[in-house]
Amino acid sequence: MTIRNTLRDHGQRYRPRMACLKKVEKLLLEMQDPKTGVKSQPQRLVITTIPHAITGEDIIAWLADRFQVDTQEARNFVSMLVALGYIYPLQDHRRLVIKPDASLYRFQTPYFWPTQQWPVEDTDYAIYLAKRNIRKRGILELHEQEHYNRLHKWMNHKWDFVVMQAKEQYRAAKERKKPDRVVFECQERAYWVVHRPPPGTVSAMDYGLDRLTDPNADEVTGESLCDLLVKYCSTYKSHDPFLSNCLPSNPWLTDDATYWSLNMPSVEIPTKMRVERWTFSFAELLSDPRGRDDFRLFLKKEFSGENLAFWEGCEDLKWGEAATMREKAEHIYKTFLARGAPRWINIDGKTMEVTVKGLKHPHRYVLDPAQTHIYMLMKKDSYGRYQKSPVFKDTVKKAICPEEHRYSDAQLQQNAKKRRPSLSPIILRQMEQEQRAKMAANVDITQVMSKLSKQGKEAHVFSSGRDQKQS
Amino acid sequence: MPLVNNKVGDDCTDEALADGKALVDSLIKVVACYRHLASCVGGCTDSLQLREELRQTREKAQMLSVAICSHLTSHLRNKRLPEGQRKEMELLWVAFSSSLELLHGDMCKVFNVAEIFSLANTDSLVQTGLQGGGSEVAARALSLPDLNRAQSPTLPAGLESQERSTMEQEIGQIEHMIDDMEMKVNVMRWMVEPHGPQYTDPLSSTDSASLALLSVDEEQPGRQPLCQRSQIFVLLLMFAVVLVAATLSVCVVFFS
Repeated sequence: MTIRNTLRDHGQRYRPRMACLKKVEKLLLEMQDPKTGVKSQPQRLVITTIPHAITGEDIIAWLADRFQVDTQEARNFVSMLVALGYIYPLQDHRRLVIKPDASLYRFQTPYFWPTQQWPVEDTDYAIYLAKRNIRKRGILELHEQEHYNRLHKWMNHKWDFVVMQAKEQYRAAKERKKPDRVVFECQERAYWVVHRPPPGTVSAMDYGLDRLTDPNADEVTGESLCDLLVKYCSTYKSHDPFLSNCLPSNPWLTDDATYWSLNMPSVEIPTKMRVERWTFSFAELLSDPRGRDDFRLFLKKEFSGENLAFWEGCEDLKWGEAATMREKAEHIYKTFLARGAPRWINIDGKTMEVTVKGLKHPHRYVLDPAQTHIYMLMKKDSYGRYQKSPVFKDTVKKAICPEEHRYSDAQLQQNAKKRRPSLSPIILRQMEQEQRAKMAANVDITQVMSKLSKQGKEAHVFSSGRDQKQS
Repeated sequence: MPLVNNKVGDDCTDEALADGKALVDSLIKVVACYRHLASCVGGCTDSLQLREELRQTREKAQMLSVAICSHLTSHLRNKRLPEGQRKEMELLWVAFSSSLELLHGDMCKVFNVAEIFSLANTDSLVQTGLQGGGSEVAARALSLPDLNRAQSPTLPAGLESQERSTMEQEIGQIEHMIDDMEMKVNVMRWMVEPHGPQYTDPLSSTDSASLALLSVDEEQPGRQPLCQRSQIFVLLLMFAVVLVAATLSVCVVFFS
């Protein structure tokens, strides 16, 4: 059983690039073997000697011999070991490089070896800096000072603890013999050079982004995940502005904003690429405002526009302001859910019961079950028919495919000079709201008119005699 | 062991605060010593004695934690605690939880390293340059003047795995204690203000000077023979100057 430090392991620290560390550890055990490993010699200091120092050239020679590679390759490999912190230099400790001469190195103690599963804690770093500061005031370098100040600000609540722990560690160190103290200080110093490198240096601990799942854990659905990824990539490949060209041209590259003006939310004629995206999934269609407009037009012709209107109302409730929530919920209930409502939606009895009960104490997500039901209804039913409808086919036919721009360098410079800021988001939002109000006014009338006409037709069919009498 | 206040409704006096502070201080000391001992595990000074010292230090730390936990919990749950004392208690609480986290981290590390390095095979222990053991540090942790060194030279294999399982249990206990603490007492860490300044005064200057000398020498051993030579030259020069001054003053005294 492996102990997992579940306190600090918030499940987001899977760093697969560091899986090499286990292999390095095995190699290191071989290297430090007193009989068959790298030759060690004592290091002479003024007062004492410390054993187990190794020279750079010895390490490189041993490794070249062990793996039967040439010296340059061995040197690269050893520089990796030094950068990771398994071997630390005794002179010039700030530069983690291997020098192929008689400069001395030593093996790092396993406690300070880099690990994959546990990140390096800021608290420990704060204690280390405080300890050095206690030992001699003003010994911290500039970047260490900055770290110290930053940690003091962010860890202010435990600063007393940090200082006390630093003092206690210092006092405990004094109990040890002098050579051991020196060794421990060198070890700790090397550890922190590796994990908090001075600015401007490249750190071997740079592992990229944290991942959400443990790639070493057994993946039960590994295959289907891969399939999904492959499918997603192949579908969206031609639509990704990094992987393929934007038509007509990428505004960030050529300073020509045609692409943006062609793809505005409320443009008359959409581009072909945009229309193609609507066919990928229902969510894509709904999330694009122009696609939603098209879909709304189609639904109007089918007289089932209330579904989309209800869905939009629910979205408005979910993401809108808290102050108007109650009114919105009531309005939606009166318009869509009440018996005899002008735009009554067709949901099953159980969902209706749950929703009506929830509306007594409305909150943001009170209409979620009904919204999901309507969404699935539209997705399974209307979406398919939409894609085969004349409305959609018409849109596809009219969709434009702009020519790719080919600018020369001089023209690009010209474009750069002619750059202007785009519409302010405040204006955009105002335009959106105006359009929404216009639509609300429009739809109500047409829907009511259609219902009235329907009722009129029915009355005419079933009781023509009565009508004639009344008129 | 000091008296443990279990009743929630007790009046909190300064004595209880001082008790708590003393306990937390000793826990911090034990945790610091544990870290020093833990840094030796897997190295060439790793031995049965070191493991034994680790175990004893660990046990002491756990005893202290249990005492502090009950002491602080009972006081912080007392709603009638005056504001000033509550602030002090919260400071102690933050220090206690941070020490526990450090101890937990160190214990996990020791556990993992001990898995890789078995004491049966002394060749595989990393040659780190250490020469002495951690007995003095352990003595400081356990507040004993000297540790007796009567240890059995060989360790049967069964005991090692038993120790591993005990360690697993202890790590689990500490995790449980930390979780429990968070559940029982709600301390808002952003409201806690420390007493001390950002930069504390150095502890002692003489010792730091000698250590600085050691590390400076370590940094440039390539130039070490030169440095030594130049140092000796300077010393000789000064000695000569002192001699000349002494003879001159003697002459002045004699001839005046």
